[in-house]
Amino acid sequence: MAAAALCWALRVVRQVLPSPCPRQVRSYYVDWRMLRDVKRRKMAYEHADERLRINAIRKNSILPKELQEVADKEIAALPRDSCPVRIRNRCVLTSRPRGVKRRWRVSRIVFRHFADHAQMSGVQRAMW
Amino acid sequence: EDKSAASKDSAHEGTAKRQEDGAETPKQQLLDIIGTMKVEVSYRKKQLKASESKKQAMKKLEGLDSEGSVPQGITEDTQRGKPLNPELVKAASAVASSLPRNKKQTESELLAQLRRHEETTDKQKKGGTVNIRNVISEMTVKRQSPAQRGARISGRISLQLDEDGPRIRSERLLAQSMDSRRSLEVGKRLNIFTKASTEPEHALKTVSSPTIWDLEFAKEVAAVTAQPPRNGFEEMIQWTKEGILWEFPIDNEVGMEDDAEFHEHIFLEKHLEGFPREGPIRHFMELVVCGLSKNPYLSVKQKVEHIEWFQKYFEEKKELLQEI
Repeated sequence: MAAAALCWALRVVRQVLPSPCPRQVRSYYVDWRMLRDVKRRKMAYEHADERLRINAIRKNSILPKELQEVADKEIAALPRDSCPVRIRNRCVLTSRPRGVKRRWRVSRIVFRHFADHAQMSGVQRAMW
Repeated sequence: EDKSAASKDSAHEGTAKRQEDGAETPKQQLLDIIGTMKVEVSYRKKQLKASESKKQAMKKLEGLDSEGSVPQGITEDTQRGKPLNPELVKAASAVASSLPRNKKQTESELLAQLRRHEETTDKQKKGGTVNIRNVISEMTVKRQSPAQRGARISGRISLQLDEDGPRIRSERLLAQSMDSRRSLEVGKRLNIFTKASTEPEHALKTVSSPTIWDLEFAKEVAAVTAQPPRNGFEEMIQWTKEGILWEFPIDNEVGMEDDAEFHEHIFLEKHLEGFPREGPIRHFMELVVCGLSKNPYLSVKQKVEHIEWFQKYFEEKKELLQEI
């Protein structure tokens, strides 16, 4: 009985918990700006549906204008960080706000660093 | 009877001589007699029927008993008709008394052997024991092709090159497997082995949810036993378990379990019952539904939630709408 329970627990644990491996795990954000950006992203995710629906009412030619004005006020009342416009695509490793390539989510300097060390898959120095 | 008595006497004499390690010629003669007797019994066993064998067994018994009991290593069985004959018992006791060893022990052993012989004969009559005829009938004589024979001989005598070895061995193996295949397929049941009774499956024990201590222990064990990956493959296996790497071949519908049919996605008009039939709101909602029906990324549940949100919203704004 106990053995069966233990086996079940082991199986569950193996599936759920990652097995410990000597690998670099990032446990802190690079700086506070990155942290705030993370918070904004989370909030935008939470309120995305609401914003979409209220905007659907606003950007309308069928519904009466009074209704649309009410909707305007409602969307303005939502928390400021819930709008997706405030998200900045920062570099994932250095938190650099500018010069970030979207495909790799890293700034140009880091990208060059990794590409020169052949750690970017399929990236080669251009020569023609 | 004289015959039996005479044979008994000779047997006693023979045993006495054997015990002393004395003269060889009478001993050898006795041994020859025993040998022929044994052969006769085994041959006759297969030929005769039960009733006939009874009579002959009785005769043989009395002659054999005295001789057969001495070398106790005999495993050949004699056929019996009746339970332990008093004559046999007398014979057994006489033999036991002739031997220099512990008389009572030998007598008991002899009687036990007699009883064992009895059981086997009873079994044979019922037909429980294995009939060797049936077993042998299914076996086929293995015919060696001259090529194989030559190969084997050559293998034994000459040096085997590395190339020839596996080739010849494979031939031999093929031939053997062929023979075994034939004998396996053909033949009726021999009933030698009893079918092992399938153990009753243990009823599924309801396991109570493991306690925190169990989980902790399990975590500890997992942490201790987990070895760092030895190569790239093991690393990728670990990543897949953690969820970093997708499972190949890539399944486009991982995590998406939409059991709804296509008609539930497209025909969403039944959800529009809460809205007024005419007016701008209905017009608006029909457009919304049209857009949702074309959306392949949302599940049916999400679409229904969407429509319900609008319903709630317009319910709240009802007073405002009525003023208009």
